[in-house]
Amino acid sequence: MQKQNNLLWVEKYRPKKIDDITGNDEAKALFLEWLKNKRHTKKAVLLYGSPGVGKTTLVLAASRELGFSVIEMNASDTRSEKAINAVAKPATSYKALDNFTENAKASGNVLFLDEVDGIAGNEDRGGVNAILKVIEESLVPIIMAANDPDIEKLRPLKKVCLLVRFQQVRIPLIIALLQKICMLEHVSAEFEALERIAQNSKGDVRSAINDLQSLSEENHSLTLQDTMLLTSRNKDISMDETLKRYFSAQNIAETSTMLAFSSVDYDDFLLSVGDNLPKRYPDAFELAKAYDYVSQADMFRGRIGTENWHLLKYFYNALTKASAVNPQSYKPFPFITPPIRIITLFWTKSKRNTLDAICGKIGAQCHVSHKTAKHDFIPYIRAILQKKPKSPLVGWFKFTPEEVDFLSKMSRF
Amino acid sequence: MTIVLNCKGFKFPRVDREKFVSLIHLGLDYDRNTGLFSIKSYNNIEKVIDTASDILGDEVVFLQNCIRCGKDFPCRGCNYIELCATKNLPFSCVCPQCLIDRKNFETYLTKF
Amino acid sequence: MVVNEEALMWVEKYRPKTLTEVVGLKDIVESLQAFMRNPKAMPHLMFAGVPGTGKTTLALAIARTLYGANWKSFTLELNASDERGIDTVRDRIKDFSRYSRTGFGDVIPFALIILDECDQMTGPAQTALRRIMEVGSRTSRFILICNQSSKIIEPIQSRCAIFRFSRVDKQAMKQHLICLAEKEGYTLIPEAADRIVDFAEGDLRHAINALQTASAYKEGVIDEKTVSLVIGEASPSQVQKMIRKALYGDFMEARKTMYDIMGSFGFSGTEIIRQVQREIFKMSDLTAEQKADLSSIIGEYDYRITQGANSDIQLSALLAQFAKFGKGIEESYAETK
Repeated sequence: MQKQNNLLWVEKYRPKKIDDITGNDEAKALFLEWLKNKRHTKKAVLLYGSPGVGKTTLVLAASRELGFSVIEMNASDTRSEKAINAVAKPATSYKALDNFTENAKASGNVLFLDEVDGIAGNEDRGGVNAILKVIEESLVPIIMAANDPDIEKLRPLKKVCLLVRFQQVRIPLIIALLQKICMLEHVSAEFEALERIAQNSKGDVRSAINDLQSLSEENHSLTLQDTMLLTSRNKDISMDETLKRYFSAQNIAETSTMLAFSSVDYDDFLLSVGDNLPKRYPDAFELAKAYDYVSQADMFRGRIGTENWHLLKYFYNALTKASAVNPQSYKPFPFITPPIRIITLFWTKSKRNTLDAICGKIGAQCHVSHKTAKHDFIPYIRAILQKKPKSPLVGWFKFTPEEVDFLSKMSRF
Repeated sequence: MTIVLNCKGFKFPRVDREKFVSLIHLGLDYDRNTGLFSIKSYNNIEKVIDTASDILGDEVVFLQNCIRCGKDFPCRGCNYIELCATKNLPFSCVCPQCLIDRKNFETYLTKF
Repeated sequence: MVVNEEALMWVEKYRPKTLTEVVGLKDIVESLQAFMRNPKAMPHLMFAGVPGTGKTTLALAIARTLYGANWKSFTLELNASDERGIDTVRDRIKDFSRYSRTGFGDVIPFALIILDECDQMTGPAQTALRRIMEVGSRTSRFILICNQSSKIIEPIQSRCAIFRFSRVDKQAMKQHLICLAEKEGYTLIPEAADRIVDFAEGDLRHAINALQTASAYKEGVIDEKTVSLVIGEASPSQVQKMIRKALYGDFMEARKTMYDIMGSFGFSGTEIIRQVQREIFKMSDLTAEQKADLSSIIGEYDYRITQGANSDIQLSALLAQFAKFGKGIEESYAETK
């Protein structure tokens, strides 16, 4: 969605040269030494450290300067072993081709797996192993990046990689960078304001630049007063934390700043807000009002679909309004997560499958769709079978004993 | 007392073999000719500082290097030391004078 | 020759086999019979109307009239709401026309494709269907069945002869039910027949299914009491429960019921909201005015579901509106007291 806006300062000022990257000079040196000289002795490198400190930027800048083509893959996009193999295998075998072309400038390919800690979830059994296998079989050097290096599942990776640790970028360095951007963007900023943004960023350069842009872009000036809108930034805000701040917000401005920077998935967040709304507003009138806003947000989500991301701000606006129906009434309460829908649908899947099979059999005999079978036949057939379990209908429809059992135990719609 | 060291070259009293190996393992380099240690890998920098403190029997801090004026300076006197996740570790930074002094900033900018 | 197993669901068993057997659709049947006299000139047909009014029955009767006993070899029955997408529809039509092309005489030079619930198809899918109809028009005729012809794109409508089916006449339905019961060896009391007819709201399929269910409850005579039992069993109690919980202020319980309905029965948000609409009007403890108010709220959320991304959120929002409405009634009641 950010691609929509080319004027994002994080993109505009993303360093193209290695030297321009702020902070982590020591990690930069270690990585460059590997890429220039040691990539043949150790095939893979793992850059780790908190978000927004320049890992991806370094990889892109370094490969540009040293003439590598980067084959990039975001591990959290396509995670299964199959997907990793599909992308990583062809990439790793390009080397043979490059040797033929003898391109003097090109140093060859590197494979870049970003966010490898994204593969550590339960659904990714095989993900880490697949990466290990790729490293083992790869003909080209492999660069990986991770936000959280302590995840147990990544341990096998640590053994086969050169580890490069990225530190949080220091506050003076961030201030210095913000000063530079202010100069280039003609923003007159109070030193204290930049100081506060930097302190608030907790070493995350990306978020500091985003904050600067959102606070100063409109009128090209920035005072300490302006930065009071910033809520304290925490690395990796969890869904619980986001919900807590959302529901306890005192006004719309507070919520909207918080949401603009939270990294939780907005679809999950929308569902979770819906799930938890009744606990937040026990009063029926307030609940109806808040739900009306959430319903509007959902309509915007529907219109956004997969491409109209420019509508996202309306989606957030509507959600924000739902948080501030009655700020005074907030009392802490335990949150329902994950979404009720997901839990419900998971537990009832086999029921639905049985029902579907039954509808299919009715449809075949009576020339109707599954839907019509469900609405116009199931209620009656169920009643008949509950009265007469041995009805000849069972044979006619070719119901299995399990299906008969299901129908006779089934409750009314 | 706090001992301030420059990460590009510092001396230790003679240590036993085991300790020496562990220092090298932690990412130090040793130059036989000058007898100076320097820091090669910063991955385990906290442990390097702990070990150095052990050896020297005192608190150890390293000098920082200013990216604007190029001078070395200690963290002492920095306004952000309480919030810093890497205080006293030998990384590049911006010294307090350069941060506030507008002239330094402008000369620095001309380098781009 | 293969003997067809006798159908055991009465709706199938008593489904008219020929056009002449169909009662109550005189005008439509007459025009169709005209086509049958010169099948070569038969255009694509579209049958539009509410459920249970004989659209599928007529389509199948046409197939029988055209091809006789072997009708199944020359007829492809598809249901748009069951197929995965327009591509599978296209593939199935292609496969079908590939091996059914041989064997027609000069008399009927086409195969018949009956596509039910066309109005469930999206716009792009309908456009693709239009192409399919165009490409296959030399070798096949389509009978498109839908509830609302207005949901079918104009280019398809203009390629079809459209027939509109109205609700089955109450009196005719009553006679039909009594007659049918007699053939099965039951006596259907006229008052009981009236109850079924009222309940079915012009949908003959519902009526016959209710009658058959009643026959499972009692031998010989089917009276009003039995019919009431059957209607009770067949009405959506979960939806009623959900509505009542919401109106009486137990939002959490109402929402839980909603998720049960979606989860266990696989109902979509739209299906649930339509049932809610129907149930509201059956509730005796609401005034006509209150029903109308609730109905317009439902209408708004019916629309929102089509716009939104998550129907459970829209339904929850609807239930919250119900809870507010219930609270409002309660408060105004307290005031007047």
